Amino acid sequence: MSATGIGAAVRRKEDRRFITGTGHYTDDINRPGQAYAYFLRSPHAHATIKSIDIKAASKMPGVLAVLTGAELAADQIGNLICGWMIHSKDGSPMKMAAHPALANGKACHVGDPIAVVVAETLAQARDAAEKIAVDYAALPAVADPAAAQKAGAPSIHDIAPNNTIYQWHLGDGKAVDAAFRSAKHVTKLDIINNRLVPNAIEPRAAIGEYDAGVGTFTLWNTTQNPHVARLVIAAFVGMAPEHKLRVIAPDVGGGFGSKIFIYPEEVVALWASKRVGRPVKWVADRSEAFVADAHGRDHVTHAEMAFDQEGKILGLRAKTIANLGAYMSTFSSSVPTYLYATLLSGQYEIPQIYCEVDAVYTNTVPVDAYRGAGRPEATFVVERLVEVGAREMGQDPAELRRKNFIKKFPHQTPVIMAYDAGDYNASLKKALELADHKGFGKRKRESARNGKLRGLGFSTYIEACGIAPSQAVGSLGAGVGLWESAEVRVNPTGSVEVLTGSHAHGQGHETTFAQLVSERLGIPIDNISVVHGDTDKVQFGMGTYGSRSGAVGMSAIAKALDKIEAKAKKVAAHMLEAAEGDIEFKDGKFSVAGTDKSAAWGDVTLNAYIAHKFSGQELEPGLKEGAFYDPTNFTFPAGCHICEVEVDPETGNTDIVAWTAVDDFGVIVNPMIVEGQVHGGIAQGVGQALCEGAVYDKDGQLVTGSFMDYCMPRADHLPALRVDTTMTKCPSNPLGIKGCGEAGAIAAPAAVINAITDAIGSEGLTMPATPHVVWAALQKANSIPKAA
Amino acid sequence: MAMTMNGEYELPVPPQTVWEKLNDAATLKACIPGCEQLDKTSDTEFQAVATVKIGPVKAKFKGKVALSDLDPPNGYKISGQGDGGVAGFAKGGATVRLTPKNGGTLLSYNVDAQIGGKLAQLGQRLVNGAAKKVADDFFANFANAVKAG
Amino acid sequence: MAGETAAVSMTVNGKPITANVDPRTLLVQLLREHLRLTGTHVGCDTSQCGACVVQVNGKAIKSCTVLALQLQGADVLTIEGLAPADGPLHPMQEAFRENHGLQCGFCTPGMIMTAVDIVRRKGHDLDDRTIREELEGNICRCTGYHNIVKAIAAGARAMRGGGAAAKAAE
Ligand code: FES
Ligand code: FES
Repeated sequence: MSATGIGAAVRRKEDRRFITGTGHYTDDINRPGQAYAYFLRSPHAHATIKSIDIKAASKMPGVLAVLTGAELAADQIGNLICGWMIHSKDGSPMKMAAHPALANGKACHVGDPIAVVVAETLAQARDAAEKIAVDYAALPAVADPAAAQKAGAPSIHDIAPNNTIYQWHLGDGKAVDAAFRSAKHVTKLDIINNRLVPNAIEPRAAIGEYDAGVGTFTLWNTTQNPHVARLVIAAFVGMAPEHKLRVIAPDVGGGFGSKIFIYPEEVVALWASKRVGRPVKWVADRSEAFVADAHGRDHVTHAEMAFDQEGKILGLRAKTIANLGAYMSTFSSSVPTYLYATLLSGQYEIPQIYCEVDAVYTNTVPVDAYRGAGRPEATFVVERLVEVGAREMGQDPAELRRKNFIKKFPHQTPVIMAYDAGDYNASLKKALELADHKGFGKRKRESARNGKLRGLGFSTYIEACGIAPSQAVGSLGAGVGLWESAEVRVNPTGSVEVLTGSHAHGQGHETTFAQLVSERLGIPIDNISVVHGDTDKVQFGMGTYGSRSGAVGMSAIAKALDKIEAKAKKVAAHMLEAAEGDIEFKDGKFSVAGTDKSAAWGDVTLNAYIAHKFSGQELEPGLKEGAFYDPTNFTFPAGCHICEVEVDPETGNTDIVAWTAVDDFGVIVNPMIVEGQVHGGIAQGVGQALCEGAVYDKDGQLVTGSFMDYCMPRADHLPALRVDTTMTKCPSNPLGIKGCGEAGAIAAPAAVINAITDAIGSEGLTMPATPHVVWAALQKANSIPKAA
Repeated sequence: MAMTMNGEYELPVPPQTVWEKLNDAATLKACIPGCEQLDKTSDTEFQAVATVKIGPVKAKFKGKVALSDLDPPNGYKISGQGDGGVAGFAKGGATVRLTPKNGGTLLSYNVDAQIGGKLAQLGQRLVNGAAKKVADDFFANFANAVKAG
Repeated sequence: MAGETAAVSMTVNGKPITANVDPRTLLVQLLREHLRLTGTHVGCDTSQCGACVVQVNGKAIKSCTVLALQLQGADVLTIEGLAPADGPLHPMQEAFRENHGLQCGFCTPGMIMTAVDIVRRKGHDLDDRTIREELEGNICRCTGYHNIVKAIAAGARAMRGGGAAAKAAE
């Protein structure tokens, strides 16, 4: 391993600009002559818009335009779309309701954009928005997914009777029922997977700019996938043809999924810039972000697991209602279906699985992928069932897991996925050691002496990442292919630019991607730059989400590097007057096998460009190669997280006192960065388990709509985290990488809840397990121990 | 989001006097906290403008106030609906009962109020307190106005 | 309202500045929009996140909570002024890089400015608990805090040694 190659904890190249305050996030960019947009949003969860009077607002100082859905329709700006088709059990297609960028006649959630004011300054735009008079007729609203399909619930979109978007299923229901009939023990759980707000600390922002002279648009946008944004805004919204729209994603301050989607505000910024003939900037304030950024999770599930007398799992069945909010966001339909039910086998050999999912509209902000997307929900179902099953049957939770682990690979589950490699026992074993599982009893007694209840919880999770083989996802309804592209440009002096369709918003691609190049070409990491996030520079790409950038994005770079090496060898052969087949390339040096003749990397790259040593007819000058890499399978990172908690029975407060994570991510490019990803994921998972929850009241008002009311983990909510790995190489891509970005968020919630239920001896907990919830569960279980 | 509250005041004047004050736009205007404008549009309707601050959100509400269930001099229902622009909306009502007591009047009220939009989002932890304060201030002001004659 | 402006003068990163601002202008807006010092970030509107922390007269404050006009004559230090341009990094900046205390970088300027203030108040030997408690006002959504805590402990130790940039900032 070289100091900057694969496996080295290289310090990040991107850090200097961030620690000196010289990064360029979208809001740091200002265009000459730029005007500011402010959105007027619906305060009602559900209302007919009888009229919008913009006269007074239009006359306010500094106002350039006041625009509503009527103008949007008149300009034939198309609706936003959901790009993944799901069919119901009966074969009917999902019911996608029209989603205009500005409401047209009806508001369907609090925060639905009604009108936009464009003015010289933001303050002027906001002041003018105060003068818009909207006459609403409030309608009854529904926010709870379980209530949305009930008779008498208000109907949100005519296209979707009973607010039902689809009724989908996966697996063999009859076979599962048969398995349950033969069961010795059945564990049943009702689960609410709480609704979350992603809350990247950088709020979303967009700057639209129209160049009338050449008829092109540019969009600076906080997006995780600039090319997909361009494709959707061109092909579906119809703003401009694809080649006349440039999307730039500069530094992006966290995304966690919420910046994948194509939102109304960027469409409006582009459209308004053409309307007013000026660049138009919009930056969300935090209150706005709470009602404008897609939320995550929000499932209501009933699940059952059947065991035989030894504790071997015979089958699993689940029925889930998934809340997709008021409109179908870009990838929303895939999250509770193919990213959820396909993972219900967990790490276990489960002969039969059946899952039914109803997706519903409610008067809430649209729900889409948030870190883990479907897989945390699946893991929570499986890992809670196993843990509760173990307690009910009086078995050791670790032992029950071990007994049911899949041990042979490849393994075909009953729910589509074919796991390619893994060693689940290895990660469990290592985690048990690191967590000092043996010493737990002693620690528990110590806690009891201090009047505290100690508990330990497992989560042996699996995820499907490296999203994804295009043909496979196409057959499941995806509207796009999920390959990745790369281009490697070698300069005459030997320095290298890597252009990638991936995008980074905290993951450190400028470093890890350069590590791959440094390793392969044997050149210093400082001679490599990584270019991403600009559709004018990178031809196409699918962006960063689903822990795909290592497994798919880097594989594309590796493929392009293969081509670079092959071409450079040809150049070297001419230079060294040897046969191409005799050229060896190692540590940045080309040599002729069995001789001492060699040429350095820089000599060869220079010769590729000056083209003096070969005929330009035989070999093209230059050194630049591109590749598209389409993965052969998903990747299957897996691992074991162990959470240890101390609960104060007086207050219900939970203290996480230790955390052990042992993950198998396949080959690791930069262990420092991977650990960081795990830490961050765990924090978000702990947030879901202990404090985060987007709460709507019965009228559809979001009552946890600020950082005061929506509690995210702070530094003192978390302990130091013990993070380690095991390794089975991923056979499905050339680098052996599985991906690591979502693991923590997927594993953590079940580990925390399993630990708390272990501590308090009661299963009746909902997330977030706030002190109040835990205290109430304790009262119910009546298990307050006598003070020692 | 919705909230309810109630309370009572003893006033040293008979119900008829209290009733008259309760129907007097000038008195109401002086007593509604933050009220900038209260114009009678009919016998039972007013056009109102009031500024209210809840936590970090300050909003100017424009809306209608209407009197209903009139039962002179025993009470009525006063309800209002206000549009606070980008801050959201507020609506609610108070049922006011007047009962003779010791030669004076016992005024009791039941308020229910509902807020929406940014107000609900940011103000929810503070809104109960703020709404209670608005109601308390109003009836305290009103009691003083009645006492002052 | 537009038109109605007032002048304010202060020192920002060692340089005297004067700006005519709308009286509603917050310090963070003065820094970002008037002075184009965009290293100070805005992450919320309820003074909860700490992305906007700068130093005023040597103490850390959330720049989204003060009006620019309140700071007549004040000495303001932002992340851009913590180390001299092109010079060596401040030990706290260096520690964040070395310990991977940042991912997306958005919370980072506020974290570093807060960290320097923690050292001023609590000294150079900081334990895990103290650092975590002191970070009550700063939210990071990326790192899970583990490496931020490590970075601050290391940065605090390194600041004892001084270092040119640290002296300049003190
Ligand atoms: S922007 Fe100042 S605390 Fe969030
Ligand atoms: S590094 Fe992204 S918020 Fe802290």
